[in-house]
Amino acid sequence: MITFDIDFMNDNNVTLRVENVSKRFGDFSAVEDLSFEVRSGRVFGFLGPNGAGKTTTIRMIVGITVPDEGSIKLFGHKMSPDLQNRIGYLPEERGLYKKLKIVDQLRYFAALKNVSGAEADKRIDFWLERMNLGEWKKKKTTDLSKGMQQKIQFISTVLHNPDLLILDEPFSGLDPINVEFMMEVISEFKTQDKTIIFSTHLMETAERLCSDILLINKARKVVSGSLREVKESYGKNLIALRATGGGAIWEDKSIVTKIVEHSDEKEIHMADGASDQILLKRLIESGAVVSKFEQVEPSLNDIFIEKVKGV
Amino acid sequence: MQKFLAVVKHEYKRVVLKWSFLIGTLLLPFLAACFAVVPALIFSLKGDATRIVVVDFSSKIAPRLQGNLTAEKILEKGRKAAQDSLTDLTPSQEEKMKRGTEQFVEGFVFVDHETQSKTLEDIRAELTGRIMRGEIDAYLFVPPDIDAADAKFEFRSRKGSDFVTNDTFRDAVNEAVRSQRLADANISEDRVAELSSNVNFDAKGIDEKGEEKNSTGTFIASFIIGLMIYITLAIYGQAIMGAVVEEKETRIAEILFSSARPFELMMGKLVGVGLAGLTQLAIWVVSAVAIVSVIALQIDSAQLLSSVPTITPLMILYFLIFFLLGFFIYASIFALIGSMVTTVQEGGQFAFPPIMILLVGFYFSFAVIRDPNSNLSFWVSIAPFFAPITMPVRILAETPPFWQIALSICVNAVAIAGLVWLASRVYRVGMLMYGKRATIPEVWKWIRQS
Repeated sequence: MITFDIDFMNDNNVTLRVENVSKRFGDFSAVEDLSFEVRSGRVFGFLGPNGAGKTTTIRMIVGITVPDEGSIKLFGHKMSPDLQNRIGYLPEERGLYKKLKIVDQLRYFAALKNVSGAEADKRIDFWLERMNLGEWKKKKTTDLSKGMQQKIQFISTVLHNPDLLILDEPFSGLDPINVEFMMEVISEFKTQDKTIIFSTHLMETAERLCSDILLINKARKVVSGSLREVKESYGKNLIALRATGGGAIWEDKSIVTKIVEHSDEKEIHMADGASDQILLKRLIESGAVVSKFEQVEPSLNDIFIEKVKGV
Repeated sequence: MQKFLAVVKHEYKRVVLKWSFLIGTLLLPFLAACFAVVPALIFSLKGDATRIVVVDFSSKIAPRLQGNLTAEKILEKGRKAAQDSLTDLTPSQEEKMKRGTEQFVEGFVFVDHETQSKTLEDIRAELTGRIMRGEIDAYLFVPPDIDAADAKFEFRSRKGSDFVTNDTFRDAVNEAVRSQRLADANISEDRVAELSSNVNFDAKGIDEKGEEKNSTGTFIASFIIGLMIYITLAIYGQAIMGAVVEEKETRIAEILFSSARPFELMMGKLVGVGLAGLTQLAIWVVSAVAIVSVIALQIDSAQLLSSVPTITPLMILYFLIFFLLGFFIYASIFALIGSMVTTVQEGGQFAFPPIMILLVGFYFSFAVIRDPNSNLSFWVSIAPFFAPITMPVRILAETPPFWQIALSICVNAVAIAGLVWLASRVYRVGMLMYGKRATIPEVWKWIRQS
């Protein structure tokens, strides 16, 4: 896996490279020797429990703080004010000016990313329409519901058409309908070859959106790679089985380590290295009637809980 | 640079387009105009002339009294009072009141009343009856012997609380009686006036060029300048703090910091709000000039202009420079406090020390007005924190040599550089620290770290 990556380490394919980065606050180590890459055009899930060091890492990526050790390269360069214009950052802790009109806030945030004048106004109108908030343009923040404010904050993140989008818990506080809606909008960015870093502790959303993941806990990397690789390398092959018969096969410890009985089906824990194809073949040979035989992957949630608890 | 300008524009608009700015900017000149014009207007609303019966048992006073209360005499007195109030700008409260009233006294109408062969009691009863019926407003009994020890001038009026009329009338009676006494003693009234006239006390200051200048209005003008700078610095300093706390409280800081450098953001804020302050000052200066010229058109302008200290364009430039110096000193302190605390209320407690320093500077300006060339005046007009208030006052009272002004500007500019450096270090860390107020040791650590 590592050799594979080195071949593609030229900067066209890597949007962000974090190398051996550490950040400490006094005696407290917030991020410890963290390295990872975010490939272009992918949705990168940055996962971890609260206090794992996610926000600290993101702040270093967007140039709010500087790492104590290690280097961060964005689009092949060290962080600079110009590069900041290519990032759209939606922080977890976010807000709007309370008494400013929506359009004025958005103009200001756009101006801070060097988008101004008619171009800014055009994009503001486009996005307000896209979010169904056109009629709220001249209203103040305090007139908006929390969900609407969230959408405005999202608009301020994407107004300057960034190449890298960093979304820290973008769905917190949204109702299920708006979560669906926002997922759709984010998926549009994916099709435009934008890179998205998506930080969350909601594993189900991460599983739906992300192509690559990085799990950190207590300032350190725990798991990383493509979602596929992570799940496969997790090596916990489960089979959901509904069948009658089989008899002696269940005693063969070289294939099956454990059987958990559910109401109408069994959860078969496969032995390390055992092939589920062999199991299926032997079941049929033994005359068992198989009505369901399904490979079940461990969910990201399972991996998360086990890894975080295990550390 | 582009982002810096965006911040400046944002902050400027945020302050200037607020109702409070509009009200504050317009209200102050309006209030000033009210204080200048309204009392005069109200007093000038003349009522009816006072109808009065004078029962003169001495038969000497009534003609003199009538002579003292003719329309011309009253007008002349009023004009004299108006002039006094312009040349002496520091009268006591009582004098001020009196002068104001003397300018606007109403006329008197003397009504006859038949008193032949009636007793004092009868006359009194008749006159009281006439007052009750509204035929007359007042009556006066002049005793037969005005010099007697128990001589009593009995004045009864329907308008007992009309102190304007009563005072004028009493003065006229006193004057009439005095003239009569002088005449009785064979002393010429004109001679007395001549002998008791005041000396012509010509008080003028001498400036550093050896030229004479009129110093009567300097005190007031210096005080106003000092007060104006003190108020604007306090208001705009706290406006900065409020803006910083809002961005911290609402977590906007995190978005801002991912878009522009903290130093750019902080300086943009200071410059934007500072420009808003300058705008307000400019409006005030222009309206002050307008008000003064309107008043000057109404009243004898030579009198007025001689009492107002000459303010040259160079002085105005100095005032603006020192306002800006003061603004950046206090605004950076307030920005630092704003980034340390978590709520505006908390900031209010921390705002106390800088406000106190500002107030001390304002108090020092009194010492400067009294003696602009003392050692104390020199030092407080050079020292940072105080100079932005005391130096403009000193320039107005008596412009010091240029090197002192230049030194003061330099010292304060250095202080600003230091404070901005400090504030920006605290700002970039403090703005991202949510939840609890930073302690002084923590802040000290941030300053040393970054």
